[in-house]
Amino acid sequence: MLRASSQTQQLTDKLDLSAVVDPAKDSGVVHGALLIRFAEAVLSNDDTALNMTRTQMLENLGPEALVDAAGVVATFMQMVRIADATGIAVVGMMLEKSSDFRTELGLNDFGSAQNTFGTSG
Amino acid sequence: MAEKAASDNKQSSRRAANQQGFFLRGNIRGEWRPFYVCPVWLYLQRWDIDRDDGGSPMAISYTTAPVPVRADIQAAHAQIWHKLAEPGTWWTGAERIAIAAEVRKAYTCQFCKTRKAALSPAAVEGKHATAGVLPDVVVEMIHQITTDPGRLNKQWFDRLVSRGLQETHYIETLGVLVRTISIDTFCRGIGLPLHPLPSPVVGNPSQVRPAEAQDDEAWVSMFPPELTTGLAADLYGGRQASPVLRALSLVPDEVRLSIFTLLPAQYMDPFRVRDPDCDPGRAINRAQIELLAARVSVLNQCFY
Repeated sequence: MLRASSQTQQLTDKLDLSAVVDPAKDSGVVHGALLIRFAEAVLSNDDTALNMTRTQMLENLGPEALVDAAGVVATFMQMVRIADATGIAVVGMMLEKSSDFRTELGLNDFGSAQNTFGTSG
Repeated sequence: MAEKAASDNKQSSRRAANQQGFFLRGNIRGEWRPFYVCPVWLYLQRWDIDRDDGGSPMAISYTTAPVPVRADIQAAHAQIWHKLAEPGTWWTGAERIAIAAEVRKAYTCQFCKTRKAALSPAAVEGKHATAGVLPDVVVEMIHQITTDPGRLNKQWFDRLVSRGLQETHYIETLGVLVRTISIDTFCRGIGLPLHPLPSPVVGNPSQVRPAEAQDDEAWVSMFPPELTTGLAADLYGGRQASPVLRALSLVPDEVRLSIFTLLPAQYMDPFRVRDPDCDPGRAINRAQIELLAARVSVLNQCFY
């Protein structure tokens, strides 16, 4: 959905999906580096880094954006567990459309890929 | 800014509460039970939604949050916290609270940290730091999913089943677990301490297993994708739902809470996720939202 939504917002030429696996890369998304740092800080145990990143979020994006970003991070901390704890598979069009970047980004090497491809765990 | 945030959150809380109606606990025929109150009544009473006396089912508040929290998020979280305390489909209210408490134990469990650092979780022996209330098999389930979801596999799930954990209880535990983590993560994100857990509500689980669930798609039984009638119509409005929207459907209330209560407030309409033109109108745009989602998924090693 990142690639698809970026196409809609005319970011295609600038979008670099590899930023989701390598934060040193520029995703091409406005304030992308800060958003990635925020997600990492929330998931970490580093309260100092989180406090600093939260301040940067407030200064650059504002309080509503901080709340929205926290909501998205919180949502996906839920959704990844629902997916990986029930063994559901990626199917159909989603599997087809993602084949190029899954290989490029090394996503097929994730342990949970076995739920889709059926390799031994 | 903090005072304005507190004032904004208080107003949002009251608006959200009165839009949805609310439950109070009262002594009815000698037993403390929740009862529904009319929204209008709330305006006439000194209902302090920020009440945090440890004995209220509504022990959740954003009035001290450093930033204003949207009313829909406050309402969703309040509903989820209230439902946490109530008897579920398979667990009592007390057991559901114990599950949430065990999730929080997992956050600092040293055995979990050691196991996560190991090449293979199965190669590490030890004991979880547990509250000691739930059966060991449920504790193992909660700790592994909470701390290392990327290395879950069918063999691990089968071991839980062989130790007596039924898939019905597994799904309800999973629902409580993920919502606890989600709301705790949100609090951490905005800089608020974790909400105190509510007091359990007395009552028995309903123990209703939907006949529609089938066991041929994933590790657990779930509604098949082509089913759009009956209970599936109630849950999904007659629409075909993706696997992740059906993953908890063995316990329909878990779908109602985790998917249809939480997602619209914190993310977007679950049925519009695959529409790249859909922008939920937040302060961050769709590409920014999906960047966050993708990074969190990668950090959790989630292929799906």
